[in-house]
Amino acid sequence: MYLMADILINVIIAFLAGSLLLGLHRKIMARVQLRPGPPVIQYLLHSLKFFFKESSFPKTASMPFYVSIIFILAVVWIVGVIVGPVTENSLLIIFAVYAIYKIVEHNAGSSSGSPYGKMSCVRAVLSAATELPLFAAIALIYFKTGTLNISGILMYQSIHGPLISSIPLAAVMLFTLLLTKSPYSPFAITKGKDLVTGFETEHFGFLRGFLMMSESIAWYVMLWLFLVLFFGPISIIWLVIGMVLISVITGFINATTPMLNPNHSVMTQITICFVCFVGTIVMIFI
Amino acid sequence: MERQTKICLLLLVISTIFILYALVFTIPIWLVYVISIFFIPLWILSLGLITMAKPREEDKEARVEEPFTGY
Repeated sequence: MYLMADILINVIIAFLAGSLLLGLHRKIMARVQLRPGPPVIQYLLHSLKFFFKESSFPKTASMPFYVSIIFILAVVWIVGVIVGPVTENSLLIIFAVYAIYKIVEHNAGSSSGSPYGKMSCVRAVLSAATELPLFAAIALIYFKTGTLNISGILMYQSIHGPLISSIPLAAVMLFTLLLTKSPYSPFAITKGKDLVTGFETEHFGFLRGFLMMSESIAWYVMLWLFLVLFFGPISIIWLVIGMVLISVITGFINATTPMLNPNHSVMTQITICFVCFVGTIVMIFI
Repeated sequence: MERQTKICLLLLVISTIFILYALVFTIPIWLVYVISIFFIPLWILSLGLITMAKPREEDKEARVEEPFTGY
């Protein structure tokens, strides 16, 4: 009874907070570019507005896959909320959530029949390189703490101090992952403007609103994960401050960097992963 | 009422019943996970399919024509 209420409340918080943080991110980007930008609440309003808009299902779309892939995205990130903020369970499940997210990006693009979606689908395969930093960060956290359970990692940090001070390069890798998923990121090759909006191009109206809802939950879960994995058991106030700070920092970075071409995006992420992984191994054993 | 709307309404009611059941009664943890993972997105999906605006009959065909033929 309480578990279901806990899950529902956390999903609602994830959606609302994630939407506001993405709205803030967009506002920061606009201000850096000397534009007024939309209000911070705009992302939330758009997500809700789209529920009442006309949704066209293109003739070339692979139905019901075209609709069910958006449903699967929501399922995946609700699992993320349950495994993360609700039960503080295994990092391996989070890794699986992220892997399926990649698959959803790929299939959402291919299900619509649009060439923009298909190009995004191909780039989603390339952007699987972003899983390398996540995998490497998880491996390093395991080497350091001896556990892949989030509650175990929190317990370790309450005794030995935050992991940000002992394995900071692992935090850099996870931050790279956050950057990849943030809007208008230099690594966001699946949603580049050269592809209109990539795999989201042909998902209109309500499906777009549903997609935006899932992505705001995803942003919240990933920020929560970063903060608890590297800063330990922090209070809600510090969690909010941390999430706002990261959204602002990624906003600055995204406003001042161009989108890399797919090959450069992949090589940059692999290079960051390699340097940080080797550096952390050296730090742990020396 | 259109067939799609009827099906969506049925799915919405079923999802609501399952979510309320998990909220009110004490059930095994695995069942709570199954209900929350499957029925929360289904609730949102069915609600959205009911609330979304429908095109006028004369515009319907033009809306779904895919311009990218041959790709």
